[in-house]
Amino acid sequence: MKKIIATLVIALCVVGSAMAQDELSFERKQAIDSLALEKVRDLSKYVKIVGSKETSFSEANRVIDRAEELFMSDAEIGVSSLGSNQITYYRVRKYFEHLMRLNYDRVEIEWYNIEYVSDLQRQPDGTYVGVITIFQTFRGYDAEGNMVYKDMTKKDITVYVKRKDTQIGGRTIGFWDVLLGDMRVKETTNR
Amino acid sequence: MKNKITTVMMVLLAAFITLGGTTSCKSKKRLAKEAAEAEYKSRVEQAVKDLNAILDDETLWTLEEKEARVQTIKDWNLQNPEVDDLLFQVEKKLARERAQRDEEERQAAEEHEQAAAADAVLGRNFSSIANAGSASQANRVINETLGLFESPNVPVLIIIKQNAGFNDYDRPTTIEKYLNYLKDQKKATEKVFEIKYNNNGKINELELIKK
Repeated sequence: MKKIIATLVIALCVVGSAMAQDELSFERKQAIDSLALEKVRDLSKYVKIVGSKETSFSEANRVIDRAEELFMSDAEIGVSSLGSNQITYYRVRKYFEHLMRLNYDRVEIEWYNIEYVSDLQRQPDGTYVGVITIFQTFRGYDAEGNMVYKDMTKKDITVYVKRKDTQIGGRTIGFWDVLLGDMRVKETTNR
Repeated sequence: MKNKITTVMMVLLAAFITLGGTTSCKSKKRLAKEAAEAEYKSRVEQAVKDLNAILDDETLWTLEEKEARVQTIKDWNLQNPEVDDLLFQVEKKLARERAQRDEEERQAAEEHEQAAAADAVLGRNFSSIANAGSASQANRVINETLGLFESPNVPVLIIIKQNAGFNDYDRPTTIEKYLNYLKDQKKATEKVFEIKYNNNGKINELELIKK
């Protein structure tokens, strides 16, 4: 009987300790919330650089490499247009290559109102998952500088944040790995 | 008869006083000499003990305390061959320790100066890259900055939050990727937290912290 009680007490202590470790303080949670938002803002700059016709091919490819690192390996990005109800989903690299080859002489891409629509929530496997929404305006210009296309798209990006460890300089570094999942088109308008 | 007796008594008394005084004076001198000898012996013993302890590293004294002790022993001017021999050995040992300490302090000061200089240079270059007017201008500063590092693959750690004794980091990157990140994002939101160098004075690990 004593053995059973002792085992139960130890088990409760272990579970309690594990739960305490899982609970992030408000400040730490805020830090990873901001980190995930920052990754999406970083992505918006990469979209802008690759979309710009002034960016050299080699520079665009370097930026695509960096952008790819922000995403999970199987993530897809949705593309829509006003002329079609169809939404095409591309793997990240394909999306950026498509963006590079757009048939305009100049494009302007702006992301704004980047914010959480679903806060990061801890999943049973320890990963924090949330959804960030962005609004994108796209403008395409011809050789004469006339705007020939414009749309505004609302997109939702799923973000995954997981605690990982790595060895650097002989010491273990615990870091928060933010990875972006699918970027889904929610709405496209001509506003 | 009475006068004779008185005279004899007076003579005896004078003789007694004289003899007694002489004996007392001799005793005082002897005692003083003995005390001096005892003190000398005690100082020699103390000096031998302290000097041997210094030689054998059996004291917890700082270098300054050891130097002060040696000076005190020298001031005693014991003129004892054993003490003199020990003093010679201890002074040589302390001179070596002092030289080593001075060298360590010089190196520490140099490293501090180097770290402060690198800190300033990195901070300035990060800002220059982020605010560069063109990609070529940013690339020039990137190449200049990479020269401070052991290789373009030197790890860069970014602290996103410090919590009671431990740090939360972003995913580690490399210095080349980080510098290009500054160029792409046009923002420098981190400052230097710690720099590690290799034996050639090149940075081989960089830790940054969010401003």
